[in-house]
Amino acid sequence: MTPIDTTSAVIPHSWRTIDGHAPTLPAYCRELYQYREVAYVLIRRDLIVRFRQTYFGLAWLLFKPLMLMLAMSFAFGFLAGFEKNHAAPYPLIIFCGVIPWYFFSNAVPDSMNSLLGHIHIIQKTYFPRAILPIAAVAVDAIEFGVAWLLFALGCLWFGYLPGWQIALFPLFFAQLIALCVVIGLLLSVVNVQFRDIGNLIPFLLTIGFFVTPAGYTLTRIPQHWQTLYALNPLVGIIEGMRWSLLNGMDGFPLIAVASSLTITVVMGIIAVRHFLATDADLVDLA
Amino acid sequence: MNDIVIDIEQVSKRYALSHQHRPDSLKSWLRSMANRLARNDDQPKDEEFWALNDISLQIRQGECLALIGKNGSGKSTLLKILSRIIPPTRGQIRVRGRVASLLEVGTGFHPELTGRENVFLNGAMLGCPERLIRQRFDAIADFSGVERFLDTPVKHYSSGMYVRLAYAVAAHVNADILVIDEVLAVGDAEFQKKCMEHLQTHLRTGITVIMVSHNLHAIRTIASNIAWIQGGQLFESGTVGSDILQRFEQT
Repeated sequence: MTPIDTTSAVIPHSWRTIDGHAPTLPAYCRELYQYREVAYVLIRRDLIVRFRQTYFGLAWLLFKPLMLMLAMSFAFGFLAGFEKNHAAPYPLIIFCGVIPWYFFSNAVPDSMNSLLGHIHIIQKTYFPRAILPIAAVAVDAIEFGVAWLLFALGCLWFGYLPGWQIALFPLFFAQLIALCVVIGLLLSVVNVQFRDIGNLIPFLLTIGFFVTPAGYTLTRIPQHWQTLYALNPLVGIIEGMRWSLLNGMDGFPLIAVASSLTITVVMGIIAVRHFLATDADLVDLA
Repeated sequence: MNDIVIDIEQVSKRYALSHQHRPDSLKSWLRSMANRLARNDDQPKDEEFWALNDISLQIRQGECLALIGKNGSGKSTLLKILSRIIPPTRGQIRVRGRVASLLEVGTGFHPELTGRENVFLNGAMLGCPERLIRQRFDAIADFSGVERFLDTPVKHYSSGMYVRLAYAVAAHVNADILVIDEVLAVGDAEFQKKCMEHLQTHLRTGITVIMVSHNLHAIRTIASNIAWIQGGQLFESGTVGSDILQRFEQT
């Protein structure tokens, strides 16, 4: 006979109410924390799938950003002739733009598709659904984080030493991740309701690459266009990363950083409110 | 009474039966908004359908409640609300204790993951810490009887294997309340017997069970109470000893 666990069920005294009301943010966050192991399992699994059975395995983590950096340096620095009058080695400048862009352009569609991609699980069991877009961003963020190892190697290669500004780098890093989570929360819900968005976003990202200072720097944009250009929240983040890692290169991009922070916060408020309001209804909407 | 663990208070669930196709793309949504703005009222209105209508029920600790009723009477909808898959339109359910649900086949399994990975994923979703699952992994594997296929993605499993593994996990996560929707019908006779024995053992230790079943024999064996749902409403309820089951059988 199978061994059966006969630990007696101890009934906790707290009541939980299930009703049609949207949860409050603190209550939802508590629940996210309680279910954090769901995220761990999903993240671990995605990482394993990404690198298991690949010939280079974990070497991909550095190989991909290296190839991106070299290709972009060639295209923008050599072909387009942007590699002039810079205080820092051009590949390092490119790295600070292309790698955050690469992360963003992967994390947004990944988190956008996370709810729809797990709809068969959502329909059968409960857990706070925000775990899915957050876990999707987390997987890409881990890869993104490791890529900075290559930046450190690049600094050694060029004999370049970042200044005190590097202390502020984690803030820009955190803001980029927050921005991806916010967009992911918003788009993942919309994607369940209107499937069109799944076609629209990859297209917008293709255009987005050209209006983001990934392969060039903000100084390439004419002065009177810069404020409009800074409405792209990635401008402030990428230029902030360059400022922090490349000895305050080109001065602190104040307008871009302020604009980017404002947009992130406003979008964050909208996304969280919308997600809390729709979370419970997701299965009925699908 | 203070041994009540589930208190269902006037729960209703409304669905809109639309007679046009739902706006599932931006285009059709925009079109319907444009029509609405143009006061184009010749579109058929959405018809309401109450899948559940004012259901109130109380379930005590250690009880095994069987929901009976015809297909489409709202039994599964009630279990889904109780499992927090969908929200009630009106009313509320108050629950005390951890709920593990087995709704239809393959509760919360990720088809691309192996059986082993799904055990951990499912355990986490049922609120069970990973170290506890690790401790009980062998017991779960043994109970499921699918040890040989634990490293195969579950998309290759048969429906029977799916259910066995899902039930094995739910049985080992120390839930206070088990919600079971007709899953036992899928396994073979031997596995059904194993589940029944398991349920009976656990019921004695104070676990509470709510199940939907069309298998009246199974209900007679393990249920203590019956709730007969008809047309989204509670038609009758009572103990398994009352004549509800006989009358249900005659309909």
